[in-house]
Amino acid sequence: MNCPRLRDWLEERYDLDGIKGIARGKFVPEHRHDIWYYTGGITLFLFLLQFLTGMLMAFYYVPHVDFAYKSIIEIVTKLRMGWFFKSLHHWGAQMAILFLFVHLFGTLLMKSYRKPRELVWVTGFILLGISIFFGLSGYLLLWDERAFAAVRVATGGAGAFPVVGGFIKAFLRGSIDVTGETLLRFYAFHVAILPLVTLALIGLHLLFVQFHGMSVPPSLEKEKLREVPFFPNVFYKDLMIWLVVLGVVVTLAVLFPPEIGVKADPLAPPPENIKPEWYFLFLLQTLKLFPGSILGMNGETIAILTVSGAILFFFLIPFLDRKSGRGERSPLFTWIGIFYLIYFLVMTAVGFLS
Amino acid sequence: MLTRHIQNHLKRLLNRTRLAAVAALLFWTTPLGAAAAEKIAVFPEVPYDGYIVYESLIVFWAAIIGLIVIIRMKLREIERTQALGADRQDKDAPLLE
Repeated sequence: MNCPRLRDWLEERYDLDGIKGIARGKFVPEHRHDIWYYTGGITLFLFLLQFLTGMLMAFYYVPHVDFAYKSIIEIVTKLRMGWFFKSLHHWGAQMAILFLFVHLFGTLLMKSYRKPRELVWVTGFILLGISIFFGLSGYLLLWDERAFAAVRVATGGAGAFPVVGGFIKAFLRGSIDVTGETLLRFYAFHVAILPLVTLALIGLHLLFVQFHGMSVPPSLEKEKLREVPFFPNVFYKDLMIWLVVLGVVVTLAVLFPPEIGVKADPLAPPPENIKPEWYFLFLLQTLKLFPGSILGMNGETIAILTVSGAILFFFLIPFLDRKSGRGERSPLFTWIGIFYLIYFLVMTAVGFLS
Repeated sequence: MLTRHIQNHLKRLLNRTRLAAVAALLFWTTPLGAAAAEKIAVFPEVPYDGYIVYESLIVFWAAIIGLIVIIRMKLREIERTQALGADRQDKDAPLLE
């Protein structure tokens, strides 16, 4: 497409050559681990897909305790292609969180968090937390018995946190129990607050990545690596991968549309053998390891504190691993990363199979 | 004799208490059972619509593969140009007015 008049109009007002120069000046090193660079791009693409499908469903969803479940059924059964967009939103969320974890562990094991990229890690880690809350808040919007029970357990778990637990629980629920107030709060989080925070954090994350450039694994740092321009070489590769990911998400959405459960009933007992979403399974299994009481103290509180401590340690790794920041080998943190990864995988598998 | 025996048996079977119990059971369980059994269709139920969806999925994948092939060809062309150094701007080149 060539529009010389439009180009001239823009060039008169904006420094287009400067923008082109920035795009041309961005180079990406080529090496045997560079496949990990694409996981961030895939996650970004899936986030965009979630925004799009979420906006489409927001036209028809009714965030009211009496109509939420009915509106979901109407989206799926009455709207043209409604079932497809709901399924696409569901599978897009699963894939986005999956790739976030892949991106996180890739960054961890390649030590891409090391000085001076600590803030890239920090923004990415907060984005993961927000995405998980995205998942939980979106899950409740279905207003079926499984979602209801899952949110009751999750908000109840937050309540076990000492000192601030009660406040967090009350703030999330907006009531004593999970009610219509909770539904409305989670809807506000899901469609307004979290998207805004996510956009801001994605912007910051990309800005930091742009500022520091792509990280090279410590083992390859001393090698002379070939660099390729981001635009168009890497961008075209990104496009091809995004197309494949889109194909996979669409295929999953068509072949495995998620079932709609029974409408939530606050007075009914929770359904048997209930399981949370797969990314909460490792947490649930960890909590199950703790007895009800430890040395006279509440076992659940100790479990929540231990898990929070482990997550905090994980979050602070860039600030604790000073050796890799100095360009030295830090096998301890590699093993810690491998331990976290294996623990996550094993506990998720155990939770899935039990 | 046999008719009377059957009549008595039916009377015993269908006495008022039993009928009331059966009616109550049906009254209470039918809506719950129906709700549990009734699955909400999350995919077009009409076979023809389902066929259209699967057909569209195949066309979609064909389009994706086609686009990937085009992008790959374009990328190879760019890499070939870059290897030749033809993409670099020559600052000393005379300007054509």
